[in-house]
Amino acid sequence: MASDSNKITLVSNDGAEVVVERNVAERSMLIKNMMEDLGEAAMTQSVPIPNVNESVLKKVIEWCEHHKNDPPAAADDDSDSRKKTTDIEEWDQKFMQVDQEMLFEIILASNYLDIKPLLDVGCKTVANMIKGKSPEEIRKTFNITNDFTPEEEEQIRRENEWAEDR
Amino acid sequence: MPSRQRLSTWSDLPDEVLQHILFYLSPDDLLSNVQRLSKRFSRLASEPLLWRHHCRVHFRYWDSKHRIRQKILGNVGDVDWKTLYMHRKRVESETASVLDSIIEGQVNRIQKFKLIADFGYDAKDTLLKHCRTCETAEDVLARRQATPRYYANAVLDHVHRSKALAEWKKLLRGEPVPLERALGSFDLFVLHDQHGDLLEISEIFDDLASTLRTENPDLDQLSTRKRALVVVRFLRNRNLTGLSTEIAYRDLQNTFIGIALQDQEHPSLPLISVAIFCVLAQRVGVDARCCGIPNHVHAMVFPQDDETLDGRRLLPGDPNSDPMYLDPYRSDVEVPLQSLRRMLSEWGLQPAQHADFLADSSTANVILRTSRNIVATVHDFRAHHEDAENTGHPTIRLHANPFADLDNAYYAALWANYIFGNPFRRSEGTTQSQFIPLILERFERLYPMDASLIEQHIVPSYNNPTNAQHWELRETLRVVRAADQTPKQVRLRNTRASQEGVKYKVGQVFRHKRYGYTAVITGWDIECGMDSDWMSINQVDSLARGRHQSFYHAL
Repeated sequence: MASDSNKITLVSNDGAEVVVERNVAERSMLIKNMMEDLGEAAMTQSVPIPNVNESVLKKVIEWCEHHKNDPPAAADDDSDSRKKTTDIEEWDQKFMQVDQEMLFEIILASNYLDIKPLLDVGCKTVANMIKGKSPEEIRKTFNITNDFTPEEEEQIRRENEWAEDR
Repeated sequence: MPSRQRLSTWSDLPDEVLQHILFYLSPDDLLSNVQRLSKRFSRLASEPLLWRHHCRVHFRYWDSKHRIRQKILGNVGDVDWKTLYMHRKRVESETASVLDSIIEGQVNRIQKFKLIADFGYDAKDTLLKHCRTCETAEDVLARRQATPRYYANAVLDHVHRSKALAEWKKLLRGEPVPLERALGSFDLFVLHDQHGDLLEISEIFDDLASTLRTENPDLDQLSTRKRALVVVRFLRNRNLTGLSTEIAYRDLQNTFIGIALQDQEHPSLPLISVAIFCVLAQRVGVDARCCGIPNHVHAMVFPQDDETLDGRRLLPGDPNSDPMYLDPYRSDVEVPLQSLRRMLSEWGLQPAQHADFLADSSTANVILRTSRNIVATVHDFRAHHEDAENTGHPTIRLHANPFADLDNAYYAALWANYIFGNPFRRSEGTTQSQFIPLILERFERLYPMDASLIEQHIVPSYNNPTNAQHWELRETLRVVRAADQTPKQVRLRNTRASQEGVKYKVGQVFRHKRYGYTAVITGWDIECGMDSDWMSINQVDSLARGRHQSFYHAL
């Protein structure tokens, strides 16, 4: 149990307790909403995070720690009409230099914990790994099984032909 | 070391996360690579939501046939956004290749212009891209880019004109055309690569209306009369109507609604001021129209059915409620009907005639009046061009080259006069057919690529071989098309004749023996190359060796 009134205790799915400042943990919308629902009680009991193991949880908290003072993202009514960039700031790039399994774990955890900026960084990182690669190269990189019949593959190729001959 | 239960792979990522990743990839990556990975990726990379995003991000202008705004607002799954994206990509690459071929060969340009124009507004994004290429590049590069830019602009102008004429034709057929679009069609003739096409003009009004509502939350509770006054005050406070100085009255820019809305000074003639008022007032539920008073257009505001302007219910037997008059060009208060009647009487009009002038005016009439304003400005400018040095007015500055835009504006006015003019000769006024030779003259000289527009909008009305216009039209079109289909030949100039007859070179500075002026030679002809009018005015044939001697172009 955290003694400091500004700290809370998270418990990973493998039973590890992680003590973290409340404002850091609240980068996660899931935790933030939970704290609001629980009120004072949240400060005195530990919060289980059933979908995330210790190493991933620590990694995610490392990110939250670094970004605890980020301004909140502007309300985005019409993100659909805005161009998406895959630029990633330097610290985040280094942060994401992890093996593929960890990368996916971070993405899954940020999705589950509802930490949108971290999810964005994770998705951008994957997108950058796909960019400009041929289907074969992508399959190899990410170990994806090609489940098309040759006929289906040919049909898809033909449908998108315009993109080829430019 | 805590043990991980298992390793995460692609298959662990839910669809929503994969979708999120795909949003960061380019359409090219999606189509040529991602779709071919596996069935799951193929399905996710075809999601309408993803392709709606790319349609919106990559293309700003859409042909009206797509009804794109409705599609964006509607259910995303109802539209095949991926196919739409691919369609636009195809238009883009075809437009670019036709543009290239226009630049490469001087033949068949009319047909090539039409090929692009047939894509309509779908081609605009690509043309704009080419209009704006390389503006910062180095000199050498810029010079090489100048030609593509010129032709991209020329094609875009042509696309704009097609759109303007289509809009006016719609109005002529009696379809509902909002006033700002009918007037904004004049802007299309001079718009080039600037902001302010029909949709953008409408958006400016939408924005103004929402600001007006924010500033006046109780607007809908006000009576029609008060609401109209709120609108006119709102516009006057923002300087959106009227002119800062009457000296500038005949400046060409004052006749374009799009320029009036976007220019910092918002200059506009009474008619455009009234139109701006009417369009904005209509957006907040006020029935405002232009009034047909000659000389100085006013705005009229009509009461709602069964009500007075002040919101009192009409009882059976009450006379119809009167409209109110406003002059947004000059003031933000109501203009009493009495003073308008007095003005008409001063002009010598009998009270019996007043009703006609005090009634509302059709959009077609507003267009005709605007075209007359443009013609008056052009004549004024040409007449006073010399002494414009003193006042600086009238000016013809619009978006681009002023003299070219003077022609463009005049051309717009001619077309408007043609489309909305009387088809038959009446006792007074001009007839439609009088404008044909004027349009044809400009078409031959400045807008040969508009052959398709003339064939579409003028020729069908004069299909009768007994009609004189029929033959004139056909002949002009034939000549322009024939010239367009003939390969241009390079004529070499270093022949013997030139070596013997031409004594001075380009670049030579000289003083004229008889007239004493100093000038520089910029070109020469072996013989006089001017037309017969010029030769007779300058009495070329009375010179010692007549027209068959070398002539110089000097500056």
